[in-house]
Amino acid sequence: MNTQGTSGKRSFRKLLGGVALFALPALALAVAVPGEKAPDFSEVDAAGEVRSLKDYEGQWLVLEWFNKDCPYVKKHYGSGNMQALQKKYTDQDINWLTVISSAKGKQGYLEPAQALEVAKSHNLSASAPFLLDADGSMGRAYGAKTTPHMFIINPEGEVVYAGAIDDNDSANPAVIPKSANYVATALDESMAGKAVKTASSRAYGCSVKY
Amino acid sequence: MGCHLSFSFLNRAVFLTCCRVLLLVFACGTGSAIAQETASGDHVQVRWLAPDTFGPGEETIGFYFEVDPGWHVYWRNAGDSGAAPRFDFAGASGEIGDILWPFPVRLPIEHLTNLGYEGDVAYLFSATPDASRMEIVVSLEWLVCKVDCIPGYGNMTLSRPVADAVQWQPQDKALRDRFAAQVPVTVTGDNFPWTVANVSAAPDGDTLQLILEAGEGAAAPEIFPLDGGLLTARAPQVEKSGDTIRYTFQRVPGAVLTPDTGFVVSDGERAWQLDDIEIQAAATSAPGSSNVPVDGGQPLWLLVLAAIAGGAILNLMPCVFPVLSIKLFGLVGPEAAASGRLKEGLRYAAGVLVTFAALGALLLVLRAGGAAIGWGFQLQSAPVVLGLILLFWVMALSFSGLYEFGHHLMNLAGNSRGGAFVTGVLAVFVAAPCTGPFMGAALGAATLLPAYGAMAIFLGLGVGLALPFVLLCAFPALLNRLPAPGPWMETLRQFLAFPLYATVIWLLWVLGRLVGESGWLIGAMLMLAVVFAFWLGRHQFRGSRWLAWGLVLAALVMSFGAANKLQQNGSGSKAAQVTSDQGWQPYNRNAIGQALARNQAVFIDYTAAWCITCQVNKKLVLESEEVETLFRENDVYLVRADWTDQDPEITRALGELGRNSVPVYAWYAPGEREPVLLPQILQAEMIEALFTDE
Repeated sequence: MNTQGTSGKRSFRKLLGGVALFALPALALAVAVPGEKAPDFSEVDAAGEVRSLKDYEGQWLVLEWFNKDCPYVKKHYGSGNMQALQKKYTDQDINWLTVISSAKGKQGYLEPAQALEVAKSHNLSASAPFLLDADGSMGRAYGAKTTPHMFIINPEGEVVYAGAIDDNDSANPAVIPKSANYVATALDESMAGKAVKTASSRAYGCSVKY
Repeated sequence: MGCHLSFSFLNRAVFLTCCRVLLLVFACGTGSAIAQETASGDHVQVRWLAPDTFGPGEETIGFYFEVDPGWHVYWRNAGDSGAAPRFDFAGASGEIGDILWPFPVRLPIEHLTNLGYEGDVAYLFSATPDASRMEIVVSLEWLVCKVDCIPGYGNMTLSRPVADAVQWQPQDKALRDRFAAQVPVTVTGDNFPWTVANVSAAPDGDTLQLILEAGEGAAAPEIFPLDGGLLTARAPQVEKSGDTIRYTFQRVPGAVLTPDTGFVVSDGERAWQLDDIEIQAAATSAPGSSNVPVDGGQPLWLLVLAAIAGGAILNLMPCVFPVLSIKLFGLVGPEAAASGRLKEGLRYAAGVLVTFAALGALLLVLRAGGAAIGWGFQLQSAPVVLGLILLFWVMALSFSGLYEFGHHLMNLAGNSRGGAFVTGVLAVFVAAPCTGPFMGAALGAATLLPAYGAMAIFLGLGVGLALPFVLLCAFPALLNRLPAPGPWMETLRQFLAFPLYATVIWLLWVLGRLVGESGWLIGAMLMLAVVFAFWLGRHQFRGSRWLAWGLVLAALVMSFGAANKLQQNGSGSKAAQVTSDQGWQPYNRNAIGQALARNQAVFIDYTAAWCITCQVNKKLVLESEEVETLFRENDVYLVRADWTDQDPEITRALGELGRNSVPVYAWYAPGEREPVLLPQILQAEMIEALFTDE
């Protein structure tokens, strides 16, 4: 099954795209790697405000990839697990941005007004309503593969964790209490000045719909 | 669920009570979820693969997943996304072994790669009864995906008598055996056809290398990592040199190296499991790994020589000949003084070389940027094809004498200074569809070689293409053999218009394949507008010239806009055309892998609408009655890999064959994993030979 060939953007665009790719070779390679500087981003959120990496210099930042129709996102939102995590850490003055990288027409894409509604209905407790990355630039820069894919960035702008939210890739919310939450552990460890034991994991979930 | 007991030392009475409790829980809890032999969800049906009667000993049984076409379920390491199915045994009257996972296939899903199964699969396990009935209660969770994913849940129970001898439904046993044969076996010295020479990774690098020493059959098997937290599922880069095969896997960014790791190795038929292979530390930049690409085993000079020969032969191919005939015509012409001829020839050569160098550079630039493209890519763009149609149409009209361009167009393709250079440029551009003998290997190598080597090959092709013409110019003696100028030249010129008309027809057809049926219409309207404008321009009524120019301009803008838009909208007739090809399947990596696993012979025709060599082979050989009959009688799985439009999957497949151009004919004899590549100019006898040699 080849999903790329049928995507509608044909050769000439690809050719031009290839040239553009060459002009920005770093873009294709730069993903968020634990221990390295976090890639830059600048995206507009559902309320129309621009959020950039620069705005969070000297602060802790958690990034979360979101698609409201993905069963794994539903697992963590339906159970309230994700919102509880957001609330717990935003209460400690940690920034939390939830990103939608679904392209227009793909599963999970939201117009700003819809995104505001979904934020409300999902009790989103992030620092901003959803970041709308419909062109996938931020998702690709970070190498976000799945929803939910999680990243933690420290005040020095380095990635300290990249991967899954926890160690259980079941879609069943019943497993959450028994799962080890990688994000909470990595945040607690790194904020206490300790080394992060698990700084990377296989990000489970649905593919990001670029 | 009430009952979590280790079933290996489970007491039967306890178990049965437990089952009753469970049944009660199911019955009361959800009403409908009565214990059952099957489970189902969206796009998935699950049933037991178990004997009607168990024997006293160990039996391999399993869950049979029937999955809707196009959907897939996952292997134990699901890859970049997705999740393996889960089987929670709540209880069993006997001993239950671990789940046995048949080897997977790689499933490229948009930007990710998954490991799983497209189509039906059986997840197996061993069961040894220790009571008079074999009872199993299990809760299942699975994920089925196409692009979007749907989780499924179910509870299944099995209750079968145990007797002296095992009794299976024959078709269930056949299914069980088929999937059991695909379960990896533990490597024990001599059952593994290869030897693992080394697994190494630099602690701070982003790859992991695995080197296999090949024994007799040097085929490169597929290797799947067991640890999705360490290695990505993307197909590793495979390099073969002599007896060693090197696999380079991408590591999950930031993943800490484990001391050891495991793999499953498969030849597409059977599989072997490598557990706990120690990872050796490697220097940060493993020598000779990433920066020295494979050279295909051939020295560069040989490849350049092949390129020169290929370029020379290109002169005779039907794509180049019309362009060259124009130039030849200019050369014989009266105004071509002997002294100017050599200069003319050199200008032509310069045009050819500069264009080849530019194409080569563009290819290298795109390669560096990670884009997968190949020779002939310029004809994969509708506006370029439309431009060529326009150019050839105008030239043909002029040759026919409809319109004397004076020296307008002749400036372009004829005699003046820039002319020869432009002819050279043009010759290269239209040469693309005619991959001749020797060219395929050279171009394929060019995509793998370092930049200087690739450029040498491109320039070699250019030298070859330009050589005959330059020789003709340099040695007037040769030219003198051509007849003296005279009225016959007018006749010749008119005659030469016909190859150009033919080229226009062919390009129109290519355009039709690129953007759909309206391609014909767009091209023909543009041609009509041009002719009409010529006519207007010749009639000197007031404003007619302006009108003519305006008309041409409008036609140009509209047709190019329409062609570009149509192509971007992807309204190409590709899907329609592939299904209408009798008996030929579109390119699908998984389907091919499955055909090979069935030991079916496979023939892959890598082709493109703009590739004349391909079309000639198709009409004269592949679609001839005798060859079609041969294919049918021998039950060959026929694949038409259409590269008319950019298709990264096909570009990748070509790359794996060491090629970067079409046509390529790959033949997998029954039971063979490695293809034989047939010559680029096919003959029916060659196909016959495939079936008689055995």
